[in-house]
Amino acid sequence: MLKIDGMSVSYGPVQALRDVSLEVPRGEVTAVIGANGAGKSTLMRTLAGLVRPAAGSATLDGHSLTGRKPEDVVRMGVSLVPEGRSTVPELTVDENLRLGGMWRSKAERASTHAEVYDMFPVLGDRRSMRADTLSGGERQQLAIGRALMSAPECLLLDEPSLGLAPLIVTQILELVKRLAEESNLAVLLVEQNAVTALRVAHSAVVLNLGQVVMSGSAADIASHEELRHAYLGY
Amino acid sequence: MQNLLRLPGARLVTHAVLVLAIWRVAMLVTDAVDPLTDYYIALVAMYATAMFGMVILVGLSGQVSLGNGALMAIGGYVFAVTTLNWQTVPFTSFPMNGTWAIVFAAIGGVVAGLLIGILGARLRGPYLAGLTLGIAVGIPAIANRFPDLLGGETGLELTVPYPDGGYAPVDDTGTTDEPVDVLPTAQAGASGDATPAPGDELTLDTFPTEQAALPTGQPPLASSGTGTGDELTLDTFPTAQPSGGTGDELTLDTFPTATPEPVASPDLSSAPIDGGTDALAGVDVGFVLERWQAGLAVAVACIVGFVALNLVRGRQGQVWRAVRDDPVAAAVSGISPSTSKVSAFVVSSLFAAVAGAVFAQILAYVGPGAFGLGLSLSLLVGIVLGGRGSLVGALLGAVLLVWLPEFVLQLAGDRGWPEQVTNNAPNLIYGLLVVLVVLVAPGGIVGGIQAGYARLRGRAGRSG
Amino acid sequence: MTQLIDYILGGAGSGMIIALMALALVLTWRATRVVNFAQVGQAMFTTFIALSLQTLTGSWWVALLGALVAGAVVGVVVQYLVLRPVKRMDTSGAIIATFGVLIALQAAAGMIWGGDSQAYPQPFNNTALTVFGREWPISAYDLVVIGFGVALVIGLTLLFTRTNLGLAMRATAFNPEVARLSGVRVSRTLTIGWALAGIVGALAGVLVAPVSGISPNSFDILLVFAFTAAVIGGLDSLIGAVSVGIGTGLILSVVSGYSDSSNAPVVALILLALNLALKPEGIFGHNSARSV
Repeated sequence: MLKIDGMSVSYGPVQALRDVSLEVPRGEVTAVIGANGAGKSTLMRTLAGLVRPAAGSATLDGHSLTGRKPEDVVRMGVSLVPEGRSTVPELTVDENLRLGGMWRSKAERASTHAEVYDMFPVLGDRRSMRADTLSGGERQQLAIGRALMSAPECLLLDEPSLGLAPLIVTQILELVKRLAEESNLAVLLVEQNAVTALRVAHSAVVLNLGQVVMSGSAADIASHEELRHAYLGY
Repeated sequence: MQNLLRLPGARLVTHAVLVLAIWRVAMLVTDAVDPLTDYYIALVAMYATAMFGMVILVGLSGQVSLGNGALMAIGGYVFAVTTLNWQTVPFTSFPMNGTWAIVFAAIGGVVAGLLIGILGARLRGPYLAGLTLGIAVGIPAIANRFPDLLGGETGLELTVPYPDGGYAPVDDTGTTDEPVDVLPTAQAGASGDATPAPGDELTLDTFPTEQAALPTGQPPLASSGTGTGDELTLDTFPTAQPSGGTGDELTLDTFPTATPEPVASPDLSSAPIDGGTDALAGVDVGFVLERWQAGLAVAVACIVGFVALNLVRGRQGQVWRAVRDDPVAAAVSGISPSTSKVSAFVVSSLFAAVAGAVFAQILAYVGPGAFGLGLSLSLLVGIVLGGRGSLVGALLGAVLLVWLPEFVLQLAGDRGWPEQVTNNAPNLIYGLLVVLVVLVAPGGIVGGIQAGYARLRGRAGRSG
Repeated sequence: MTQLIDYILGGAGSGMIIALMALALVLTWRATRVVNFAQVGQAMFTTFIALSLQTLTGSWWVALLGALVAGAVVGVVVQYLVLRPVKRMDTSGAIIATFGVLIALQAAAGMIWGGDSQAYPQPFNNTALTVFGREWPISAYDLVVIGFGVALVIGLTLLFTRTNLGLAMRATAFNPEVARLSGVRVSRTLTIGWALAGIVGALAGVLVAPVSGISPNSFDILLVFAFTAAVIGGLDSLIGAVSVGIGTGLILSVVSGYSDSSNAPVVALILLALNLALKPEGIFGHNSARSV
């Protein structure tokens, strides 16, 4: 379980996160929803070690993640798929995947590599093509596949639906849900598109101006009309 | 009063008064000090002139250029070639003089700056730095291409100040005993006996700052990487005139009309070179070449400084800064980034060329060795140490460029350091200081002082 | 015609040296997006170290090995002490810092070894080879230089395409954030990139020294040639740096042959200016040289 306790982050005088606490249980998808600038991406980047929190802590199964470098956080089992279908465009599909989890033994990596190709058959077909020749949906799959190569216990997904066709978004999110349930992963999913996120998530928190304004089961939040009007704008 | 100062005209007047005051004080100082100090003042003013342009180019416009030494070479060579070859200003009957030659040098600088600017202004930092590095190495090498006109590796010697009535035309000198020696075009022949090692050693010891950026006693430029052993050493670097070491062939009867204008009293007139020698020996002969050189360099620096002051503190300065900080935002608000960057190149190149013309008159010589990569690097060192975006910083940097080698030389003399260490110590200090400044005090000396002052005020404010 | 062929062939050795130095510039550029203008200064310094080792041990090979080790060490030191702290700053700061290092290294070398050009021992026969009853403008030493260059290029290609380290270096060059998130120790990888560049530069220095001699400033011109080759090759491309580097050597050899070697810097400048005016991203590159 990923546990975040009282986390605050500041960029100079601007406080991006205030005292955020939440839990991401294994085998479930937890959605973080909120408007633009609510601090969702900051939360993800802080968890991955790219941003240092001013206060608070994050632990994975009791091991502290706070204050560690990104390359150590990923070794501890927390893998981030950053916003914008982040791959290395100049490398081939195969090389992008090889990049993930480079510290693991050759045999372990080979088996994960095969699993990823099973999961995303389209990547197997394109393995020797450069990542920048892929379509948006394929690149998002590659980005997730790269994150899975490190055999994470916890997967952080930052806006995977951004700029993708609705059908592809649904496919990808369904896959993420299956992944969480079948591989017992703790998945934290950041989405601006609340409807889509709440459809696959088990539970959700709503962020506004860096603070958690509500948390609960996905169904509860989806049916909370006031909240939808106030923070989610639909 | 506050409102009055905001008027553009008022600012112009303020700047004019400021610069005039500086000029007046500097003139009083140059009259009061000994010739050697005058010589240093001339060098400081000359460096400052070139570095005012670097402040605009590197500091304000954010373009790191290594080419300003080459632009100084263009100014110096234009000065030398026009004075040596033209009796009158082309298409007119005006007699040629030093001022005209500086104007021609300035025009040469503007043209070169325009060309380099158009090519370079669109390039990102490292590309621009590399291109200008190529210019710094390539342009002085052009002198070798035209040995007859530009003197090749040997360079051209000049008579300073520009002789009244100009240089004697080639045909008229047939009557004198040793006519070739005084003719710049014959320098290659003359340099055989003009480069005795002892004389050169003396010169370098007395005036190490001529090559401030170059480890003294080393080849100013590299030998070729492709294995051609041609290298330019200081052996071929003709002695600068102030020491007078090799200038004895130049006698008064060659230039009977050489009565230098500025401070000279006609009855005591002597050839400039002799004046320099005597002055160094401490004999007052009225005209002191170094004093004249200092006067020229300071006057030019003041004029250029006035222009720079108005540009830096005016609208154009804001435009340059805006483009440096955010080219996209500047473009959106109607400023053309490339025009702004090219204009910075043109201005800095104009300043550099004028400084080069002054440098030519301080050395009484132009040659590829004097304007090599080392000169470009020392200009960069100067503004980085002084403070990249500050005209005062440029002035401080210029002082540092001239003073540090002298200081080290004195220190070395006291401590008995080996020559090898002494010669290289200034550059080692410069290099380390540049790295240190970039790392811990990007604002250089001026930035550091400002930060310190702000902190002091802050502390006083809190306690009070 | 035969003369032209002779001039072209005569440039092969120096072309390979330009290629190696360009390769060193490309390696640091790829690692840290910094053009290391101190690279030739580092190479000069390590070549002096090699010369001292040569005098001490009498072995050209020991000296070469020493230079390569020193090249890696100096590269790491410069990256660690200078460029790493300056990373967050403007690009102007990084460029100026590398020139500061260059000035300091040249002065330090002048202090230690003096300013005069010194001869570097010639380990192999440097006279023209005679094959098919004809003298060729290539010596055994040229072939050794070319052999070293080819071996190095093959080695680097294998490193970058076949090893995890090479993959990490490429990923770090193109997208450091994704590399970090994948677990690559980015700062260590960057330092390794500088060490590698230092080794390549040091090799170029030791190889050129028997021909050019060695003094604190003797590689300055090589910087101009190598930068020209690296930029025309695209700054990002190893293949580009090598092929354009060799090409530059051949062109300069022809120019020197038909006119005078002192024209070489001017010709290099013209090549560079033409390239930046017409195809600023270089022949093999995809990153843009232009900012606006």
